[in-house]
Amino acid sequence: MNATTIDAGSSNERAAADAGLPRSIPEYLERLRAALAGADPALVQDALYDAEEYLRSELAENPGRSEAEVIASVAGSYGAPDEVAEIYRDTEVKVQTALRPPAPKPRKSLLGRFFGVAAEPRTYAALFYMLLSLATGIFYFTWVTTGLSVSMGLMVLIVGLPLLILFLGSVRVLALVEGRLVEAMLGERMPRRPLYSQRGRPLLERIKDMFTDPRTWGTLLYMLLMLPLGTVYFTVAVTGLSISLSLIFFPLLRLIGIGTVQFDGYDVFAAWEPWSWPAAVLAGVVVLFLTMHIARLVGQIHGQLAKHLLVRSAQYG
Amino acid sequence: MDEFDSQRRKFQKELSSGTVSLALLAVLGGAAEPMYGYQIAKRLEREGEGVLSGKQSALYPVLRNLGAAGLLDSHVEPSVTGPPRRYYRITEAGRQVLREWVAAWRATRDSVDSVLQGLDL
Repeated sequence: MNATTIDAGSSNERAAADAGLPRSIPEYLERLRAALAGADPALVQDALYDAEEYLRSELAENPGRSEAEVIASVAGSYGAPDEVAEIYRDTEVKVQTALRPPAPKPRKSLLGRFFGVAAEPRTYAALFYMLLSLATGIFYFTWVTTGLSVSMGLMVLIVGLPLLILFLGSVRVLALVEGRLVEAMLGERMPRRPLYSQRGRPLLERIKDMFTDPRTWGTLLYMLLMLPLGTVYFTVAVTGLSISLSLIFFPLLRLIGIGTVQFDGYDVFAAWEPWSWPAAVLAGVVVLFLTMHIARLVGQIHGQLAKHLLVRSAQYG
Repeated sequence: MDEFDSQRRKFQKELSSGTVSLALLAVLGGAAEPMYGYQIAKRLEREGEGVLSGKQSALYPVLRNLGAAGLLDSHVEPSVTGPPRRYYRITEAGRQVLREWVAAWRATRDSVDSVLQGLDL
């Protein structure tokens, strides 16, 4: 019974699209990219990747047929570029809302919004990302400066060029890893696939692509930026957490007797009478929640930064 | 006639959007080894026709979302014919979810069947 549906569907399309069906796989992908213009770049990249996998696999299954024939036959089963674009825009929204756990109800009151941040898992992930970013920042920065200076320095000898190519390749892998980190912790949608530029082009062309790809340079910039940013994030997170936690636990520590700072034999906190302890706890709680809000804000801003520098949005603009 | 046709297609679309995750999970649950998108699409085309009333391109986003929900595991392997392929395999959590989905599906099917029973058209 389903065969009839497909026929009914595809005969309509065939009439409409026969004049304009793409003749080759790159043309199909170009058409798909155009149809998805304005969509989330990460979604565009996924869609292109999926379409290419399907088309190339279909081509490999039918060795006797040309690309144009395969595309014509696939228009019924996989879909023409316009339909595929429609499906991706559609399914992405639907499935995500269906499979994700329901978002907590947005709190109305100002106080609710301020304290509600503690109930969102994303907050803790963002805080963790801030702490982690010192380590990743140092690593990325070292990797980029070492890679660039070693390969540039050896450029006088021939080995510099292959080293540079290897280095740029490694940077693209790192961009992918960082993308996964950002998506997992900051919730910003990033590409899930290694970027696959036109296979079938000669190796030299592909190397040239790597140099002309704005994403390569964007990634380099991002990795350099990660050192100062990571340092700031780490400092802010550690400062906020240590101030707030020490204020919150101050009375407890006092009771145990370890919350003192001796200075010239004089207890610095001696003036902190017990009546001020609740105030200290309250201040600590406020600072803790402020830190959480900062983490959320940093998460959002950094997610946008990562997306613009790591995902090749310029091309899909 | 066209009116009925569009009603039927709309209904089929709604049915398939509810069952396609189950079908994908079931295909991977029964597979001996990891499969990639095209393989899964062809497998469904051969056997699970009713499930997929729409285009096969609709499978990929569902696969990716099942993966993001931790029900599927995936890895990329290079291939000679095209882009590196992403192979999917069901996870332990996926198996548990599949068991529950199968139970839910059977219950739904039985109750719909019992409603339809004795329907004279």
